Amino acid sequence: MSETLLEVNGLSKSFDGVVAVDDVSFSLNSSETLGIVGESGSGKTTLARCVLRAIDPDAGTVRFHGKHGQYDLHNLSERELIPLRQEMQMVFQDPFSSLNPRMTVQEIMEEPLIIHGIGDRASRREAVLDILSRVQLEQDALTRYPHAFSGGQRQRIGIARALVLRPKLVVCDESVSALDVSVQAQIINLLEDLQDELGLTYLFVAHNLSVVHHICDRILVMYHGRVVEEGPVEEVFNNPQQDYTKLLLSAIPSPDPDVPLVPIDRANLNL
Amino acid sequence: MGEQKIAEDNVLAIRDLAVEFKTDIGMTYAVRDVSFSVPRGKVTAVVGESGSGKSVTANCIMRLIQPPGKIVSGSIDFSPTRTDGYDIVSLSNKDPRLFDLRGDLMSMVFQEPMTALSPVYTVGNQVAEAILCHRDVSEAEAWQEAVDMLTRVGIDDVSRRIHQYPFEFSGGMRQRVVIAMALVCNPELLICDEPTTALDVTIQAEILTLIRDLQQELKNSVLFITHDLGVVAQLADQVVVMYQGRVLEIGTVRQVLKDPLHPYTRGLLAAIPGLAQKGERLETISSVVGDADLETPYPLTQMADGRQVSLSPDLLREAGHE
Repeated sequence: MSETLLEVNGLSKSFDGVVAVDDVSFSLNSSETLGIVGESGSGKTTLARCVLRAIDPDAGTVRFHGKHGQYDLHNLSERELIPLRQEMQMVFQDPFSSLNPRMTVQEIMEEPLIIHGIGDRASRREAVLDILSRVQLEQDALTRYPHAFSGGQRQRIGIARALVLRPKLVVCDESVSALDVSVQAQIINLLEDLQDELGLTYLFVAHNLSVVHHICDRILVMYHGRVVEEGPVEEVFNNPQQDYTKLLLSAIPSPDPDVPLVPIDRANLNL
Repeated sequence: MGEQKIAEDNVLAIRDLAVEFKTDIGMTYAVRDVSFSVPRGKVTAVVGESGSGKSVTANCIMRLIQPPGKIVSGSIDFSPTRTDGYDIVSLSNKDPRLFDLRGDLMSMVFQEPMTALSPVYTVGNQVAEAILCHRDVSEAEAWQEAVDMLTRVGIDDVSRRIHQYPFEFSGGMRQRVVIAMALVCNPELLICDEPTTALDVTIQAEILTLIRDLQQELKNSVLFITHDLGVVAQLADQVVVMYQGRVLEIGTVRQVLKDPLHPYTRGLLAAIPGLAQKGERLETISSVVGDADLETPYPLTQMADGRQVSLSPDLLREAGHE
């Protein structure tokens, strides 16, 4: 139905001998949302960062199908990567620490355009205004500083900053985890609307399985740096094949008082 | 007579509690007109979003509100079985009963286990200290009790682990240590303020199971503060829903989660992604609440089935109040 955007093969990364990501391979189609789930320390954030070359992997290949052809990200120099950064952006977890408190919203959102030398003052202003309305913020937000906004509004600013360059791939690293459930619902709806409007592809890193179930088409389940299960989200949720996936799914407390929590049994885990 | 009966069933009765914080732009209410009771031997959950006043309410019970915050009115009647009851709000800061309250008659488990533990003392030292503060026992006896309690909360290899420091424990294990510290003096009321929010979902399930099992064994009363309705459903007998410093709804866990009376409670439930059909837009609070009034502080009304709700007169009639 759609073409491949990203092919990851045999990606590995260790920190001082501790294996964070261990021989991970996957591919991602255009306009698709792939979820990466796992507990703390499972390597999901390291994997996402290696894919973007925010950190350098030890081994493996990452092939990105950009606007102007295919690139092997692992082989490119920092300088060669710069133009490609426009096509791959990231939305972070913490809406407080990921925005510079000394910059106005206008400056925050315009900076990526300036860095990449895109447009002049007037056209940049136009691009900022366009994305601002897409994330449903008012125009008077531009002259204010991040502290004047709530957590949900700040996350909208973070999303706008990522989208102002019109990327193809957006990595969302726990982008809704820090938000209250009602604000989280608004941001999830926004991410889904923007995907439809702009044809975005999401790599969605999260530990909250209900959020992943809602937003993702396919998921990778990670444990100790390895992918233990992969598949379409409905299949994995309805019929998990691996014991670890079953354990992860059974740990979600149901908001129905008649669905009791099953005690976690790690002893019988076969990994 | 009727008053007396209610007081006996509840370990805690909060009435018309109001807390103000002094800010640059004047006084702000963090909590206003909050009234609810904590039944003895049961788990009461207080659920709400950021800014709902749930943690401030919990801190009032332990008298942990510090300037610029201030309890401006209301009472918190505490009725322990081990000693005579009193109003916590009216105690002076130097009253010796406050010392008995904190750590002996009541204790608290916080969200972030690393900040609740001192990094420079071993975990054994910290659990034993809680006993030595409140009981007239020798150091050896206190250590033995610490060993017993740490075993009970599921720390393996306790004789070795008790001499280790908090940094040598994982997040889940640290929270078990904090729970051991909180329970070692057998408090009549245990307050848990988002104790599993910082933990992975699997570790959260283990800690929730532990808290539930210990509560059923020790029969103490638990006040559980959380934003997660899944956690509420698994643990609570009674639920108090808070919003912007006020109580909107009180009822049993089945009443509130299966048949919520307040539109805000319905919104909270609908916003959980698991309940929506895949591919559909998630409901948000505002899409569920619609034009129902959340801003006017309507009084809590007692309903026929024992639950209480704060609704406008129109919605109250719709909810079946005559």
